[in-house]
Amino acid sequence: MAAREQSRYLARALPRAFMPSARPQPFLGRRNASDEAPARRLSDELETASSLTTVVSEDAAKSFDPAAQAKSRKSKLPRSRYQFRSPKYDRGPLHPHQPPPPSDPSSRLFVPGPFTLPRAEQTYNSTVASDILTLCYVHTPPGFKPPPKAPRLREWDDSSPYHKNRPLRGPRGGDVLRLLRKPIRFNNIPKIERITIHSYVKNAAHENSSWLHVAGMAIQAISNTRVETFKSKSSVATWSIAPGRDTVAVKAELQGETMYHFLGKLIDVVLPRIKDWPGIKGSSGDSSGNITFGLVPENVAMFPEIEVNYDMYPPKMIPGCHITLHTTAKADKDARLLLSAMGIPFYGKIVH
Amino acid sequence: MSSGPNGARRIASLLRPSKFDSGVCKSCQETLGRRTYASAAAATPSATAAPDTTFPVLKPVYTINAGVVLSRPPQITRDLEPFEKAFHFYQKRLNERLALPFTKYFYFKRGTPADVDWKKKVAERRTPARDIGKYNAYATDAWNDELLLGSKESEPEYQIEKLVDDAESTANATSQDTSKKEEIPRPFSRVTEADKKGDFKSLNRLLPKTLYLLVQSKEGYWKFPSSPVVGEETIREAAERTLAESAGVNMNTWMVGYHPYGHHVYTNRKPHIDKATGAESHGEKTFFMKTRIMTGQADLSANTQNLKDFKWLSKDEIAQHVLPNYYSYIKNMLADR
Repeated sequence: MAAREQSRYLARALPRAFMPSARPQPFLGRRNASDEAPARRLSDELETASSLTTVVSEDAAKSFDPAAQAKSRKSKLPRSRYQFRSPKYDRGPLHPHQPPPPSDPSSRLFVPGPFTLPRAEQTYNSTVASDILTLCYVHTPPGFKPPPKAPRLREWDDSSPYHKNRPLRGPRGGDVLRLLRKPIRFNNIPKIERITIHSYVKNAAHENSSWLHVAGMAIQAISNTRVETFKSKSSVATWSIAPGRDTVAVKAELQGETMYHFLGKLIDVVLPRIKDWPGIKGSSGDSSGNITFGLVPENVAMFPEIEVNYDMYPPKMIPGCHITLHTTAKADKDARLLLSAMGIPFYGKIVH
Repeated sequence: MSSGPNGARRIASLLRPSKFDSGVCKSCQETLGRRTYASAAAATPSATAAPDTTFPVLKPVYTINAGVVLSRPPQITRDLEPFEKAFHFYQKRLNERLALPFTKYFYFKRGTPADVDWKKKVAERRTPARDIGKYNAYATDAWNDELLLGSKESEPEYQIEKLVDDAESTANATSQDTSKKEEIPRPFSRVTEADKKGDFKSLNRLLPKTLYLLVQSKEGYWKFPSSPVVGEETIREAAERTLAESAGVNMNTWMVGYHPYGHHVYTNRKPHIDKATGAESHGEKTFFMKTRIMTGQADLSANTQNLKDFKWLSKDEIAQHVLPNYYSYIKNMLADR
């Protein structure tokens, strides 16, 4: 009896691979290419011999004082020995004095940053992107062939001799050739590319330029970006605006870290505090994935940067603005999906 | 999104004679059987003959399960790596050197208490920025902008403390009432009570990471909630039913799309033969639906799936709980963070 018990335990303890099986079985699940790759962390990709982890003796660390060392030096090196100055003018590729790349702090084109890792960007990367990928998955069964599509630009039918060498005809129903929308895969998940804040100040033309200055200061304060000014292109007789004469608009373009900080403020601070705001109109968008909406001056004044010193702005001169959210989506439908996942509401009839 | 609960389509598929028996799933059969207008007229006879060669008809020897991966997305930002902290801090000081000086007169009116307070603080820390330590970007020794060993200036905790201190001292210096001390609330701790207690059932644990609901069967195995698809229901309907039957209805959840995003295959050592019907089963295939929890909490008290326990776990904790075979299937659908 005891011997039989033993053998039963043994049979249980033996790995499954050695047991008689009706079907051939893999030993451990399946093997993927990603099995071989180690788990990815930022610290793994950095050099291990970093100054952040080196052990330094207490005395050496305490006595190290670069400012005092520099002061105690009797004779100073000439500046040219320790300070590299980027050439002011481009003298061609054969000149010995070449400018460093723009990522070098000594370059004249260097822009510092990033200073933080914005929360909105982290939300997008950790949650929104993968959800959009799951939502937009379209299953094509094995053996499925998509029906052939008509060419986007049509041929001429050669009914006239003048059709020879003509450029192709545009699409039916209008001249606009829409963007080609490809199925959303891991490498083309829509993301926010840049944000444009634009403000048209009509009073700048027929009153004085202070309107434009205040608008520029306000837009700069909320966007953390230098604004550009624009002259009018069209004539508005009632506002006495002539094309090319009057500077009437300011615009800021936000990208990267600044853009995500602005988006975070917009979604979490400003938009929820607007009274009776239904959301962005469902028909907004340029049908290629860019959504625009407007804020009235009272809403612009709700940005925390303006709120802290609201008294310094002439209250009547705080501008309204149009905010365009440029996304990499090829259709408005996808852009709305992305923006509503990020927390921007839409209302009314949704137009795709 | 493509195969929703579309009643008309399903009725049409019932009326239409089925082309292949069970080689492909219901919705795929419809896609394959759909007329493509460009090719339908020309190639009708060959279209019916072709599928028999490409899809050998298999008997359904595996049980099809619907699984639910119920997750809570990260609630707060992640902890920065030491390199990121150092880099951000270095860039902040570089910016201080390169940016135009702070326009004080735009923010502080001359002679106000706020102006006096500002002057005092700038004399102390030498810079308008509150979180980069004592550093003067316009002095002759502005080149000395790197941190020494062991300095705390690049730590987020230090920076938060400095910002709060600054706000507090401003509030105290400019308020009318000198008897009362202003208190600026500190941000909440990134480590919660549930983390300290090791409470695996709380949704408030591990705020910077994604948490997944795992359940323990009566036999002691940890897995995602799953159960066989019954009758004609779709994977999504089955997943919704599974979630209600295993973790209760006291949760506000959102199922992401209509398609599964991962699967697990379990093959029996020997095929099981059902004595009543004579049908043999080689194992089970589980298809997982992605689901997000908004509010509520799992409750196993009324479950009908033979479950005894549940936990909210992050990806690396799941690896400790489930069998290696199971983990090799599910690991690629779980978020890194």
